[in-house]
Amino acid sequence: MMQDALKKIRGAHWLSSDAVIQQLWPDFFRLKGDRLVADDPALTVGFGQFEGQTCLVAGVNRGQTLTERQTYRGGAVAPTGYRKFSRGLKLAMKRHWPVITLINMPGADASLAAEKQGQSQAIAAAIQLMGQLTVPNIAVFLGEGESGGALALANSNRVFMYQHSLFSVASPEAMQAILKRPVGEVDQLLPITAQALQQQGLVDAVLPDTDANTMVAALKTQLQTALMQLADQTPLQLQQQRLTKFQQLQTLV
Amino acid sequence: MGHMPAAGTWQACPQCGEHHHRLEWAPWQICPSCGYYQRLTAQQRLTQLVDQGTFQPLPDLAMTAATTGFPDYAAKLATAQTKTGLAEAIVVGQAAIDQQVCVIGIMDSHFMMGSLNQVVGQKICQLFEVGSQRQLPVVLVTASGGARMQEGLAALTQMSLTLAAKSAFDAQGGFSINVLTDPTMGGVTASFALQADILLAEPAATIGFAGRRVIEQTDQVQLPADFQSAEQLLTRGMLDAVVPRAQLKAQLAQLLRLGGKSA
Repeated sequence: MMQDALKKIRGAHWLSSDAVIQQLWPDFFRLKGDRLVADDPALTVGFGQFEGQTCLVAGVNRGQTLTERQTYRGGAVAPTGYRKFSRGLKLAMKRHWPVITLINMPGADASLAAEKQGQSQAIAAAIQLMGQLTVPNIAVFLGEGESGGALALANSNRVFMYQHSLFSVASPEAMQAILKRPVGEVDQLLPITAQALQQQGLVDAVLPDTDANTMVAALKTQLQTALMQLADQTPLQLQQQRLTKFQQLQTLV
Repeated sequence: MGHMPAAGTWQACPQCGEHHHRLEWAPWQICPSCGYYQRLTAQQRLTQLVDQGTFQPLPDLAMTAATTGFPDYAAKLATAQTKTGLAEAIVVGQAAIDQQVCVIGIMDSHFMMGSLNQVVGQKICQLFEVGSQRQLPVVLVTASGGARMQEGLAALTQMSLTLAAKSAFDAQGGFSINVLTDPTMGGVTASFALQADILLAEPAATIGFAGRRVIEQTDQVQLPADFQSAEQLLTRGMLDAVVPRAQLKAQLAQLLRLGGKSA
């Protein structure tokens, strides 16, 4: 069950963030570079119009061909990507644009280069900025999202997940290695699936996995509703709402 | 068996293997042979850093995370509590460092590798909240392997919750100093550990996001021994200073004197 879901969302033909952007933001402009080191092709950051309103959109690229997968490191976002994202967030706040993130990634880049370029700091800064955002933000899980690398894109007012997507502290494989439990068991021990996280109150909508066109259409409807609901919120309300939302996961007694 | 030395009187250095008497390790817990820094318990750290008799614990949040979800977790937690005498992997309180009053948090790697769970996260939030209320600077000594897997997403999201508390503290004009000690990794480094106004670290402390083995797997390379060391981070502009243990208290006192006064 779990393995089937993983195979599906990691497959070359799964709905990509690029495909979503092409359909929902056809007049999209891509930002390039973190203004410090380089541009990270694993994370698209840019802006375009949705229903007449400009949005800042960030989408992780896993890649479809082998060459793409190598270029994008399978969607492992680098510090340059998180810094480009933070740059976009500041622009969005200045221009009062809502922020939409499209997530399907194995976690942040765990390479020598990433460490040298300050991966931890880049992620911390992005998580903090997302929490303090004065404009609405909505996270959409197209597939999996794990570790702080995914949290940096997911610390949002609304979280939508496609039916087979996952949001977890670590990848099922990493959890298997650390906790010595079979991959297929992890989702029964901890809430990581869209359905389980909806029950916890974190996920606002579980979107059906069908064909690409239907999937994008369903997302479009959800985005319209959410953007309308969030439009009147003050910056303070938006910040507080994010806190309250993520506090729901706590199981403190 | 009164002639036998008490357990723990002689300790082998984890780095060079030399055995030394506990009086030789004292007072800084540094190996006389190779200079290795022992990982300190929260109590040892407190003794080294704060003025005697000034530490006042913050009001106990009296919270525990439900441990029902994950097999063996409750037992692991109980073992850690017995071993360390602590309720969780962090101690929080108000104290004076060379007469400079501050709010201080000390993580303890002996408690499930200092991993960030819900209680640890909420205590760090408390640290910033009390710092704002009492208009005191916050000193946080980090030691952690990252987020605690057994609590899943509820542990991971402490990264964003602690950063939100830090943002609120900053908005009130708060001043914060972090001391990064061995090890500071993963979700802790990628959240509150690196977001203080001033970042200090202990010599040779390992500080990073991904673990060495994971990176070696990703890149298929052998990493140099000092990779992710405090000294390396300093040269790359990620830290303000690497401070020897014997000078840490004086360094903190100076920073608190200069930056800790509320306007």
